[in-house]
Amino acid sequence: MVFARIWHRLGGRRRRPPTSAQMFRQAQRLRDEGRFEDAAELVADALIREPGSVVGHLLAGSLHMTLRESGQARTSFERVLALEATQPRALLGLARLALEDGEAKTCRDLLSRALARYPDFPEARALLDVARDLAPSADPKRAATPVLVPPAIPVATAARMPAVTTAPTPAATQAPAAKSATLADRLRLPTESREALFMRPDATLVFAEPRGPRTEAVAARAVKLARIATAVLARSGFGPLRHAVIEGAAETTYLRTDDAALLTLAFDRDVTAATAVSHLERVWGSCRSELA
Amino acid sequence: MSTAVAARPALGRDLRALLAELMKLEHITGGLVVAPDGLVIAADLPREVEAEPLSALAATLGRELELRGPQLRRGTFPMAQFASVSGTAFLGSTPVGFIVLLGEPQADNDAVRTALRAAVGTVYRAWAR
Repeated sequence: MVFARIWHRLGGRRRRPPTSAQMFRQAQRLRDEGRFEDAAELVADALIREPGSVVGHLLAGSLHMTLRESGQARTSFERVLALEATQPRALLGLARLALEDGEAKTCRDLLSRALARYPDFPEARALLDVARDLAPSADPKRAATPVLVPPAIPVATAARMPAVTTAPTPAATQAPAAKSATLADRLRLPTESREALFMRPDATLVFAEPRGPRTEAVAARAVKLARIATAVLARSGFGPLRHAVIEGAAETTYLRTDDAALLTLAFDRDVTAATAVSHLERVWGSCRSELA
Repeated sequence: MSTAVAARPALGRDLRALLAELMKLEHITGGLVVAPDGLVIAADLPREVEAEPLSALAATLGRELELRGPQLRRGTFPMAQFASVSGTAFLGSTPVGFIVLLGEPQADNDAVRTALRAAVGTVYRAWAR
């Protein structure tokens, strides 16, 4: 009898398993503490109990994005939209993933859906401004498509070719790489430069050294990056992008741009900033003269 | 400044305090810590700058740099700076998100980059498992 009473008391004190709502709240707390993996595990457990939770899938999507797990984030946001077709945060999350993938049109469509339902959505509006500015040619995915025609010849180079006869001149028939080499000589690219790209604002490549099968896509990504950076500067109350320095693990990229062109030069990390900037400004001046 | 940040690894866990330290740099007018999903973790911005749209764009820029900066094929970036004639945005990448600093044109870019690099390192150490 006594034993039964004690057993009953212990049983009464035993904690009930947390509800899924409590688990989501706990996951949110873990997220705020920066314990992203723990939070993601808890959300996954809670979603087994309540697979139709919009909050849960939304939190999962957010955590996957934080953990840089784009594919899983996409799945989570799509599940949210299957449950609630105009959930603004899911639409924004998918739009951001589409932009990362170079799918500017998909990004615009998703943001337009979000704004049609929630016109006062500043994040969506800011991102839509960027996606609208991305011309199809600045879409890295399109630019990555194999080019079947020879790359564009620099306009200024073509104009300076001697037009002695109507027959093709050696200069007119030389390979694009050779023309590029000629331009490289005129631009006096620094020997320390690992990569040089010069392009128009629509990502049309004017010059690249070295030039490879993915150079067009690289140029498109540089233009896209410049567009997003300009939007960040505008939202910060500053003017359009003019210079950038991007430190990578092995090298540093210096960027110079205006309304008509964009130049990037990549240097090894051991090249000083002063030297790199000096080269950048000199090559930029030469590039702009070529375009004039 | 950079020494102060680097010498206090615990600071890397408290991102608001870390941002407050960075805001002490000369000619820095605003700062933000934003998660990769675009949510604001900490912000100290001029009144006229809205945090939400800036954080969404800063996270997008950070991810773009992580995935494919102009150097593009060579992996992650620790730090970047984007300048206009009227001001500069500095961006640092950490495991928990991106640190953004807004500077006036007269800000000492080298000093800011050094401090931001130290802060990024502090966050990495603090959040390492």
